[in-house]
Amino acid sequence: MKIISHSYINPKGAFLNGQNVLIATEENYLKSYFSELEIDYSKFYKMDLLSKAAFLGDYLLHNSYKDLLNVENELQFVFANASSSKETDIRFIESYERKKNPSPSLFVYTLPNILTGELAIKHKWFGENIFYILTKFDSDFFNDQIAMSFLRGNEYCLCGWVEMTGSPEDECFMFLVAKSEVVNENLSNKLNEILNNYRNE
Amino acid sequence: MSELKEQLKSQIIEQLNLEDLTPADIKNDSPLFGDEGLGLDSIDALEFIVLLDSFYGIKIEDPAAAREIFHSVDSMAAFIESKK
Amino acid sequence: MDIFITGYGVISAIGKNVEENFSSLTQERTAIKQGLKSYTSKFKVGEIGLSNDALKAEFDLKTDGSRTALLGMVAAKEAFKNHSHFDTLRTGLISGTSVGGMDISEVEYRKQMAGEEPNFKQYFHHPSGTTSEQIAAELGITGFVNTISTACSSAANAIMIGARLIRSGQLDRVVVGGTDSLTQFTIFGFRSLMIFDDEWCKPFDNSRKGLNLGEGAGYIVLESQKSLETTGKIALAKLTGWSNASDAYHQTASSPDGDGAILSMNQALKQAELEPKDINYVNAHGTATPNNDLSESKAFINVFNGKVPPFSSTKSYTGHTLAASGGIESVFAILSIQNNILFPNLNHTSPIEETGLIPIKNIQKNTEVTHVLSNSFGFGGNNSTLIFSKI
Repeated sequence: MKIISHSYINPKGAFLNGQNVLIATEENYLKSYFSELEIDYSKFYKMDLLSKAAFLGDYLLHNSYKDLLNVENELQFVFANASSSKETDIRFIESYERKKNPSPSLFVYTLPNILTGELAIKHKWFGENIFYILTKFDSDFFNDQIAMSFLRGNEYCLCGWVEMTGSPEDECFMFLVAKSEVVNENLSNKLNEILNNYRNE
Repeated sequence: MSELKEQLKSQIIEQLNLEDLTPADIKNDSPLFGDEGLGLDSIDALEFIVLLDSFYGIKIEDPAAAREIFHSVDSMAAFIESKK
Repeated sequence: MDIFITGYGVISAIGKNVEENFSSLTQERTAIKQGLKSYTSKFKVGEIGLSNDALKAEFDLKTDGSRTALLGMVAAKEAFKNHSHFDTLRTGLISGTSVGGMDISEVEYRKQMAGEEPNFKQYFHHPSGTTSEQIAAELGITGFVNTISTACSSAANAIMIGARLIRSGQLDRVVVGGTDSLTQFTIFGFRSLMIFDDEWCKPFDNSRKGLNLGEGAGYIVLESQKSLETTGKIALAKLTGWSNASDAYHQTASSPDGDGAILSMNQALKQAELEPKDINYVNAHGTATPNNDLSESKAFINVFNGKVPPFSSTKSYTGHTLAASGGIESVFAILSIQNNILFPNLNHTSPIEETGLIPIKNIQKNTEVTHVLSNSFGFGGNNSTLIFSKI
């Protein structure tokens, strides 16, 4: 298996394959990346932090998957984070505790896997999708999940570690993996290297 | 009426968590639902029902029937005025 | 490689173990009624009538946890009872949940918002992952533990991932399933979506209005052939098919034609090397919402080429137990196989106009049940299907 491309988004900037492509121009950095990329997708505005970050992370990668064959059926989403949908959960609680009106549009996002749903909706991709809760980014875990996915017959995995709680340490690390001739290559070290480089930017 | 419309736009932004938008981003006669508009859907229609109740004291029992009222800022403002 | 099931455990509104659940199912006895808690009293729900302290006492639970964790411990313990630990056997636990420890944290958070000093230690119970770790600790499982959070398909996905871990040689034996408790958070959330039925829900009925929420937990134990040689367990059934697909339509609604459901059912059948006509019973997702039941019905007609096998939603017994539903309903699927029995779809009067499909109306005993298909569809368009087969 091989990593075709990777992207990284945090409050400081947006990166594609190790290159810095955008710098945050305002505190609402997700909005600033969205505007600068001139994306036409009105549904972006109502998404929560997780879905917005994953949407942008995925958008940066789009050149690398637009020519892939049968990606709508052969791609599996493998996503994870540590805090689930905590940021939205708290806003939802406040909507009924403080404002006395539970908000349906917030409730919709009180599940971390809605972000993979949003990507599937945007692309009309019907492949498998799963969301795990892990204590921290675990490259071995992702490696094993990808290996299992390919064993099952998937051709590609779009993976992401999307930890967004509204803090300066927020990050969205996404990578696209495809099958290759080297079947048993372990991507663990490579993934750690890529992520550490991004974190140290 | 135009003051009501500006107020409505702020309330829509707040109620639907569209924090990235400003009232200037929403045109009075633009469709709010569907891809041409703000990309709102049936869940957001539920939010509008909450909005009409909490800000204007107007209760709507049937979400499906209310779609026409929520078509645009213009139609919502007209509806609110008619209930005064 | 065959995946064998060598244990099952369940706690729901209709019973606190497998035997009680089975008894309620066969006696067509629903547990959906007016809620007893302050935040459930206005709704019809499938509540478990045991407090957290009562759960700890009755089931002799040694590990502390939120209600979600405690319910999980009860069901997982039942599934794993009579199982022992072996040094040579790599045993894991994969659990699905959407609520996690929110039943505790929502109370503390409210205190905080009221300006009181919360007990910060209680927030330790909050994370979904903590729930799984507490269940594993109660069972003495020290191997691989993981947590899946994909809404109402979480337990089904946990079962699927468990099977894959065994097949790929990473585990020999795994406890899989899910758990969720009723919280104010979920009650308010579903109410805001206006998809409740104020009365007892009516899955697949033309006049259905929405769902009733429930709580509970369901777990099964999966083993490889090699593992069986060590544990010496008798298999209850086999897990022969599993699949997951995206509906790619909306965050919470299902596509009108059930695209994701069609994909997950077809793929599961393909994996099980079965034809649609081989399925003897379908335990539907069947939440009783206008949207799901129509969408799922259309998917049935498509997948089964018009000849839909006997099907029912058992959510008219237990309520919709969210992340636990795939686990609880897997136990029901296995009971159906073991006892050659078809469970009815309670509270059904008239079929959905657009499809005319009639679910199982009354309990049917002495019916040869070899293969059962079970659906669990989660928000986010996360559609999962499992197939269980007789040994």
